[in-house]
Amino acid sequence: MLSLPTTEQIILDCRSELLNTIDPAVAEPAVKIAIQMMENVLRNCATRAAHEIAWMTEETATMVAYAERVAASAEQRAGVRSALERFTAQRSSSLHLDDVARTYHLASACLSAALDTAMAEGDAALAAEGRAIIQQRVATELQIMGEWSFVGRG
Amino acid sequence: MHDPEAMPERLAAFLTELDGGRTARVTAYEAMIGGYSRLMARADVHWSDGTTEVLVLRGDPPPGKSMAETDRDAEHALLRALGDSGVIATPRVRGYDPQGDRLGTKCIVIEFVHGQPLQAILNGTEAATHSTHAEALVDSMAAVHSIDPGVLAEVLPHPPDWHTYMHGLIDRFRSSDEGHVEPMPVLRYVAAWLESHLPPPLPLRVVHSDFQPANIMVDTDGVHQMVDWEFAHIGDPREDLGYYNVYAAALGPNLFALDPDGFLARYRERTGFDEAAVNMQTMAYFSSLAAISVYSQILAGAGAMARGENSGLMTTYTLNALTVGHSNFLAGCAATDDPETH
Repeated sequence: MLSLPTTEQIILDCRSELLNTIDPAVAEPAVKIAIQMMENVLRNCATRAAHEIAWMTEETATMVAYAERVAASAEQRAGVRSALERFTAQRSSSLHLDDVARTYHLASACLSAALDTAMAEGDAALAAEGRAIIQQRVATELQIMGEWSFVGRG
Repeated sequence: MHDPEAMPERLAAFLTELDGGRTARVTAYEAMIGGYSRLMARADVHWSDGTTEVLVLRGDPPPGKSMAETDRDAEHALLRALGDSGVIATPRVRGYDPQGDRLGTKCIVIEFVHGQPLQAILNGTEAATHSTHAEALVDSMAAVHSIDPGVLAEVLPHPPDWHTYMHGLIDRFRSSDEGHVEPMPVLRYVAAWLESHLPPPLPLRVVHSDFQPANIMVDTDGVHQMVDWEFAHIGDPREDLGYYNVYAAALGPNLFALDPDGFLARYRERTGFDEAAVNMQTMAYFSSLAAISVYSQILAGAGAMARGENSGLMTTYTLNALTVGHSNFLAGCAATDDPETH
């Protein structure tokens, strides 16, 4: 396959065409707003195309490691253990995007179960650790989002 | 509404039949920009008796093209009740097509407000002038929260009590997670956190639930007319405080941030709520909680797209609103924990 230009470059090139060729030729306000929205969506897609497999893989490892720590120390560990067993049984080592996403979802379920346990047991240290992982997930989302505003409002 | 070319004729026939005496002619019809969840259009109408008026149409997008599913029947009933009772300034309903067979989709026809959205006014004026708008905004919010819920008892269900309501609202974080196409640990964390940090209760009141300056039309007399009531419900009035704060922080300018203490003091004065219930800490709490109604609708739209049941630019574009929501949920938790807000 052709790996260069990258998917990110191609999408950003389309975005550039949209902004520099199509937008100036459009006068209709509703369509101009749609173009601004599409610009944003394309920018988001470019960032995801460049990084999402790596980001999901890294987060998967972090979430599962946390769930294993909760399962090792919590008293009510059945939910976390069950999620971890599902992860172990169904995870995939394939790097195809759908497979990486499915494995990521299994790991996310481990994190959810671990957070439920840590919060229910009032374990402040484990709860804080879980919150830090969530904050990292949101930091990644914010990186994908980039600059964003409610286009067309007001 | 999905066929703008046909709309002048269809709308004219609809209005003529509704009026029962005069004949309507629609001389201009154009889509309005800025509405995210519903289709909006503006129509200039000339009546056979020589009068003219401007009307606004608010209708459902085509099936599978909506970023959020809300009930037009319920919204229409609420708008009628608000208009009939006169408890708040809001554009009057002129007609409703409940089947969508007259106007092409379920559609509410309301009077046009001659003026500007408060958001446009804020965008076009210097920050130094915004304190007056902040006071007016607080007054409008307090006016919504001063409506007697009993006046709207027929159209807005009243929860049994504050605790039941709050637990149900917080549970929407969990149900949103459970109903989504992928696990959302942030929602599970925030739900558990909110349950363990409940604020002092307040009487349940009418909550607009999308209280933002784009939904406040400032008419030519300077009167605030609240629009877009589709998410309104009976709930904790502080939801609107928190929602306004997170929305304005994202879009700007944030009139609460101009003078937080003054903003809350005026709100308390206008509503009669005390400082134990309305303070910086409860503001932070509701800044985490309040967006769940709108958030869950957007998340449902994203899930529908992932399942191949929905499509459209608005759904993909508002995926970032989910990220903003996650960020605000966590920021609200952190601010409530912060001793500085106590």
